[in-house]
Amino acid sequence: MTHDDILTGELLDDARLTLDELALACAIEPGWIIERVEAGYLCCMGVGQPQAWRFASAELVRARQLRAMERDFDANPELAALVVDLIEEVRGLRQQLSRMRR
Amino acid sequence: MDFKDYYQILGVARNAGAEDIRKAFRKQARKFHPDVSKEPDAEARMKEINEANAVLSDPEKRALYDQMGSGHQPGQPFQPAQGWDSNFEFSGADAADSSDFFASLFGRAGGARRSGAFRMRGEDHHAKVDIELQDAYQGASRTISLRRPRVDEHGQVVLDDHTLEVRIPKGVKEGQHIRLSGQGAPGEGGAPAGDLYLEIRFTPDARYRVDGRDVYETVPVTPWEAALGGPIEAPTPSGPVTLTVPAGSQTGRKLRLKSRGIPGDPAGDLYVVLEVVLPPADTDTARRLYETMARDLHFDPRRTAGA
Repeated sequence: MTHDDILTGELLDDARLTLDELALACAIEPGWIIERVEAGYLCCMGVGQPQAWRFASAELVRARQLRAMERDFDANPELAALVVDLIEEVRGLRQQLSRMRR
Repeated sequence: MDFKDYYQILGVARNAGAEDIRKAFRKQARKFHPDVSKEPDAEARMKEINEANAVLSDPEKRALYDQMGSGHQPGQPFQPAQGWDSNFEFSGADAADSSDFFASLFGRAGGARRSGAFRMRGEDHHAKVDIELQDAYQGASRTISLRRPRVDEHGQVVLDDHTLEVRIPKGVKEGQHIRLSGQGAPGEGGAPAGDLYLEIRFTPDARYRVDGRDVYETVPVTPWEAALGGPIEAPTPSGPVTLTVPAGSQTGRKLRLKSRGIPGDPAGDLYVVLEVVLPPADTDTARRLYETMARDLHFDPRRTAGA
């Protein structure tokens, strides 16, 4: 077992990841992300050329979920986006429910 | 290390066709998808199912697995022969997600195959870190255990346990990521290592509800504190504070303590939500006081409610 000193990472604030960084982090081609941004399934900040786009932390989770849905179930992008929207909705509702139950 | 029967995991016969395997995988993936499944071990099962699918849906890997696996029973000790896979090349990986068994068979091979442009740089890895709300107020450090593949002196791939201590900066929000450069999978051919992305999650705490940097906290008060108003002491994530309850408060009244939410630029606010708690009528004195109120107050909350 190895042990390193305390590492200080980089806190990814809102609108922080570039297109290429997001693509690398999801192990997917940038073109896949561009298509889903243009279709409205992923959100980005910044306008104009894709290289000027910036993505929030939450989009990283969303992009990986979309990719998993498309890959695991051969879901088309519309269906994958619908499922991920519902997952997010359910998560929010479950949080509310657990607060009300206490 | 024990032998894993990927056919059994997916519930298919050893001679199952590609279509059967795809169908079986989807059926299992639907059942154990961690976002939907109510099974307690859904996450672990999903990993196993992904692993089985990664092998059985790839003709090359499946052929190798069949060749290695003949004569082994699940749970039996297993050690692949040295150099057995020397003629094969695998790409794509998520070593953090794969079992010892898988790593020893396929090295860092794993998830989806990737296009040539990405092949050399190490993969980015992902992990989740649970912190307390208080850690977001003060900053903290967390120890994270990861598994990393390494080729040992016999040319076999082994997984090393690797411990990282990571600083959690003050002001971090739920769902935010911390990126640790170069802490992902090692690169190949001298290329840089990938990055490690840590997703911050707050351990559920019944006392607090967090919305971005704003924090909501329910604070119990007595009927007389709510009715008459006055200073009360309330615990908050950044320590106890004294706040003034306005006279005539009811359950649900929100008091905003500016900038006492999660620190940042701008800092969040803390909302204290009052909850009036009645003293039990379990002594003669308490019962008498309630009877006095009943007689003297002429209070009927149903007279206006719903009228």
